[in-house]
Amino acid sequence: MGKLIIFAGGLGSGKTEIALNFARAEARAGEKSVLADVDLINPFFSSRLAIEDLEKEGVKLLAPRRDLAFGDVPQLPPQIISSIRQDNSLFIDLGGDESGVLVMGYLRSYILDRPYEFMLVVNPYRPFAGSLDDLIALKEMLEQSSRVSFTGIISNPNLVEETTPETVREGHGKVLEWAQIMGLTVRYLTVEEKLFNELQPEYSDIIYKLSLHFRPDWLGIS
Amino acid sequence: MDRVLMKGNEALAEGAILAGCRGFFGYPITPSSEIAEYMARKMPTIGGVFVQAESELAAINMVYGGSSAGFRVMTASSGPGISLKQEGISFLSEGELPCVVVNVSRGGPGLGGIQPSQADYFQATRGGGHGDYHTIVVAPSGVQEMMDLTMQAFYWADYHRIPVMIMLEGTLGNLMEPITVREPVTEFVDKPWATNGCKDRAPNVMNTLHLDSDFLEKRNHHLQAKYEKIQQECKRAETFMIEDADIVIVAFGLMGRIAKKSVSEARKQGVKAGLIRPITLWPFPDDVIKSAAQTAKRFLSVEINMGQMIEDIKLAIEGRVPVEFYGRIGISPNPEEISRQIINIAAREGWI
Repeated sequence: MGKLIIFAGGLGSGKTEIALNFARAEARAGEKSVLADVDLINPFFSSRLAIEDLEKEGVKLLAPRRDLAFGDVPQLPPQIISSIRQDNSLFIDLGGDESGVLVMGYLRSYILDRPYEFMLVVNPYRPFAGSLDDLIALKEMLEQSSRVSFTGIISNPNLVEETTPETVREGHGKVLEWAQIMGLTVRYLTVEEKLFNELQPEYSDIIYKLSLHFRPDWLGIS
Repeated sequence: MDRVLMKGNEALAEGAILAGCRGFFGYPITPSSEIAEYMARKMPTIGGVFVQAESELAAINMVYGGSSAGFRVMTASSGPGISLKQEGISFLSEGELPCVVVNVSRGGPGLGGIQPSQADYFQATRGGGHGDYHTIVVAPSGVQEMMDLTMQAFYWADYHRIPVMIMLEGTLGNLMEPITVREPVTEFVDKPWATNGCKDRAPNVMNTLHLDSDFLEKRNHHLQAKYEKIQQECKRAETFMIEDADIVIVAFGLMGRIAKKSVSEARKQGVKAGLIRPITLWPFPDDVIKSAAQTAKRFLSVEINMGQMIEDIKLAIEGRVPVEFYGRIGISPNPEEISRQIINIAAREGWI
């Protein structure tokens, strides 16, 4: 059986970019890679908008299509259940916050049947994720709503274009400290390509390189 | 950590709280719902009130009530919901009740779609509901400005006793950028008119029914005089490289930000382009446009609609310079698309 990684977290914690990078890396490694975009919260900046690029790279995308891609009603790609059971790697990108993980209520019985990773994506520079109390509240809310316990944390400390190595070090330090108190392991530290080489030696065991897909290039101008 | 990464809708909601907003009344609609979500989380922790009303009409009338009682209050919606609120906004305008109404716009007409749009420009700037009135309309172009203009909107609302609308594309509501969270507002405008208990004074009454025609006309003159004052004091615009520009792009909101990149690109290609980004849509910054028209040879209005702001540009220019239009619906044009338009015009006119 291939990998099964489910990405959950607060609104705007970086789930979609991370899930997309994991799915692309898997396809590049020659594995069958499926990305499920089950963001029922909000289709802005969602994987379904990158469908052409993903399919070109060999990632199979399960997502609302064509005229339904921008429907703001709950809709789940039906093939997701078979993908959980088949011989492929599956990356599930949930919507943000407690309403986003509600989808797990439907998927959990299939998921609990097999090995999986349920990742809490944390960017400590986001509202409602900037303190230990906030993070505990978020984790509890997501676990209650999904009825699945997290198996690890993905630390994603960034201020997008303003991110410096110091931003990453400071933010990641906090995530590590909070994770330890919460009894969870930080499995990955995700950083953008431009910072990867500088930070790689310090965090070689967990660092993961992200190339951002949804960031418009005109944002630098203000 | 002094910088925080926020979505536009979150920055707007936090800006409202910092400005002292303690009442939020809403009804969810994409792409505005993050504002209500944020308020639902925060309001109970700061002694404020969050109500998910049974409808948009109920929500705007709760705003009427909260504002009458002297509180800083807000509602947020998107196109179809804003249409439903128009009756209430007209009442708020005649009652001179300060409030902030947010339109995180989506494509219309009808139920339309939830993609970015600026097609509610006419509705926002012409009053929108019945009767002779205006609301101040501001159009932020980035996440920091979402917070800052929201705080400004609450100030203007109280100071001029007027509903202020914040209008933005859905994309900006969902876009994340690092911002500096501002200090909370501590000084507020007095509200001796508020219906907040009349012990030791005569009761204040909020009423917009004026059956006496003389009084009705007097009220209208009073409102017009106020709008005149606002036109004098509140016009805001950002300008970029317009001093020597042959062609001036006019674009607002996030679209204005995208157009800035197009202007830079056109400059690289040898076209003297510039940008005017109206920050207030009403009052419209016609002064800046009028003065640019003294030197520019052409204007190009870029909007995510079928051509609405172009009317205000033409009014400001009074026929002295041709105004062209480029618009899309349901999609924000990318910078290359707009710079191509600029370069095509320049080539057609023989400037390059």
